Amino acid sequence: MLEVDGLAKRYGEVLALRDLTVRVDEGSCLVLLGRNGAGKTTALRCMAGVLLPSAGTVTVDGVDAADDPTAVRAKVGLMPEVPGLYERMSVRAYLDHFGAIYDVEPAIRRQRIEELLEVFELTDAGDRWLGTYSKGMRQKVALIRATLHRPRLVLADEPTSALDPDSARRAWVYLKDLQKEGCALVICTHSMEEAEHLAGDIGIMSAGRALAIGSMAELRRRSGLATRREVRELPTLQDIYLAIVGNHHDELAETRSA
Amino acid sequence: MSWPKLDRRKAALVAARDLRDAVSELRLIAAMIALTLAIPLAAGSGVRALAYFGGGTAVVNRLSLVGAFFVVFIPASFSLVLALESFVGERERTTLEVLLSTPLREAEIYAGKVLAVLSVSLTLCYGGLIVYCLVTFPGLGYFPIVILLALAVSTICQVAAMVAGAVIISLNARTMRAANVMASFIILPMSVVLQLEAALILLGRADLLWGFALLMILIAVVLLRMGLTGFSREALLARDVGLRRPLRRAAEALRSSFATRPGIVRLIWSRRTPMVLAAAGFPAGAVIGYVAGSTSAVPRAVVRPVLSSLVRSAGQGNPVESAIAIFSHNLLAFLLVAILAIVTAGLSGFLLTFAPGFLLGFAAAFSSWGLALTGIVPNGLVEIPAAIVAGGLAIQIGAAAIHMDATGGWSSRVLAAVADYVRALRWLVPALAVAALLEVWLG
Repeated sequence: MLEVDGLAKRYGEVLALRDLTVRVDEGSCLVLLGRNGAGKTTALRCMAGVLLPSAGTVTVDGVDAADDPTAVRAKVGLMPEVPGLYERMSVRAYLDHFGAIYDVEPAIRRQRIEELLEVFELTDAGDRWLGTYSKGMRQKVALIRATLHRPRLVLADEPTSALDPDSARRAWVYLKDLQKEGCALVICTHSMEEAEHLAGDIGIMSAGRALAIGSMAELRRRSGLATRREVRELPTLQDIYLAIVGNHHDELAETRSA
Repeated sequence: MSWPKLDRRKAALVAARDLRDAVSELRLIAAMIALTLAIPLAAGSGVRALAYFGGGTAVVNRLSLVGAFFVVFIPASFSLVLALESFVGERERTTLEVLLSTPLREAEIYAGKVLAVLSVSLTLCYGGLIVYCLVTFPGLGYFPIVILLALAVSTICQVAAMVAGAVIISLNARTMRAANVMASFIILPMSVVLQLEAALILLGRADLLWGFALLMILIAVVLLRMGLTGFSREALLARDVGLRRPLRRAAEALRSSFATRPGIVRLIWSRRTPMVLAAAGFPAGAVIGYVAGSTSAVPRAVVRPVLSSLVRSAGQGNPVESAIAIFSHNLLAFLLVAILAIVTAGLSGFLLTFAPGFLLGFAAAFSSWGLALTGIVPNGLVEIPAAIVAGGLAIQIGAAAIHMDATGGWSSRVLAAVADYVRALRWLVPALAVAALLEVWLG
């Protein structure tokens, strides 16, 4: 579904992303972890056909993002970190507008809008202006907007950061359901719980590079925590993440001092 | 130059949404309608009162036209507010990022937004104009339909130019506060145009307003095209990251602009197109000046004082003082031309050769070509080539200023063009000094 090979993105003198290679199959989920400025958002924008790669290739469902970014954007649902909603529109009108942009038939989009408002418990607030919505409600609307057209690939940047635990679980269930329907997911998050819950593969990024990509078991093995630490329980993803990023920073510090 | 693909239905979707957003801000709309109605009513009533209390026909007629221009300009200036809100406001609120992540092409978003702003602004402009005409002209015995048509055409272009200007601002401003500061670069030139138009009407040369309308069409097309080229996902999203450490980036751009610039011969060759344009300015000016002088299209009384002052300045004082005065005058002209090139799209560079050519041709129309040419020989043999080089490089600065690239890099392009000009001064300044000496001792 998504094939990224040697992806790099440069903004002037800033190399925001370098040599990223990942593959996400239909119905699977890749979670990207990393501190702020690690290059996760840039990676998502390149995967979504919003920004063109400076080097490397991005292919979504067989379409090269550099050759036909418009077609790639039609296949993708991107949920940015900030919801970016029109304040003076009701949620129904807002979702209808984006449904029309994605060429969803009017009758189908009306039906889907009602279904998804129901899923996210927004039916009663459907005619209120978005400006009156809470942060969590806005995030729900952004998730609905990104998935309304049934994209083949959903790219979400911190999709549940503003949601209460109950709503977050509801969102995870929804994303899992999309996966079951064959949709591929790429999620950027700082929540280890979310990563453990959703991820098939996990990518750990730092300073524009992917330090490690693989399943939980592979990352555990790679972190060396299972052999170095005498623990009764398996290390959590939080332990693995800190170990891998910590090692990377030690390497960076050694390189600088040398 | 090809126009990008555009799905009209998609552009209409964007336009409809923006239109809905614009008219949902009741306070803004109420203010706009009040001003659109209040100003025409007040201006029209004033003109009618003047006519009623015995104002001269010529004065009343001219003021009625000036009033029409002001009545249209106020709602037209609202287009800038609406456009800034539509482009910079959306960028600030991050709703533009969402729009850019959809399958919409940049051209569709751009066209939709421009269409929405134009619809609101032109409705207000023409609404105000109709109200003004209904209040002012019935019973006045004067209804200058041709001039009002010129006003209508130039209004569309004025509004389009302001909208396109707002897009260019949106590429360089991330907040509305910054955008509002930068908006003065659009409002001020537009108000100058308005004042010139008013001056022409008051001088009784309203027939020249079609020239202004044509100029506005040209400016609007150039700016709209610039806006379309610059309005790209890369420029809007990638530049957010590229704008980090602005002072360091500016210093680096300045350093790289001045490093490895070519020598004068290579520089002239590499900028041959603007050089040819600048070189063409002199004979073109001479021919047009001659025609203007011999047909009295431009009154002699207008040009004669300029020619007289030039002749006087060359013959006054002791030779050293004269040489210094001529040199300073020419150097100042060269520097002003370079500075103005950025805001005049290089037109100042063309005028550097066109204006002397025009004066020469005009003088020839007064006397003869032989006599006129003695006024510029031998100093002109040095001065004119120097003016062609300076004019060509100034045209290049203007071209760099109006060239938008989807990947950005505006400041480095302009800095590189300015660097060429500054380095060329190493040869131009001595040339001007030699020309001044020749003019004083051999002229």
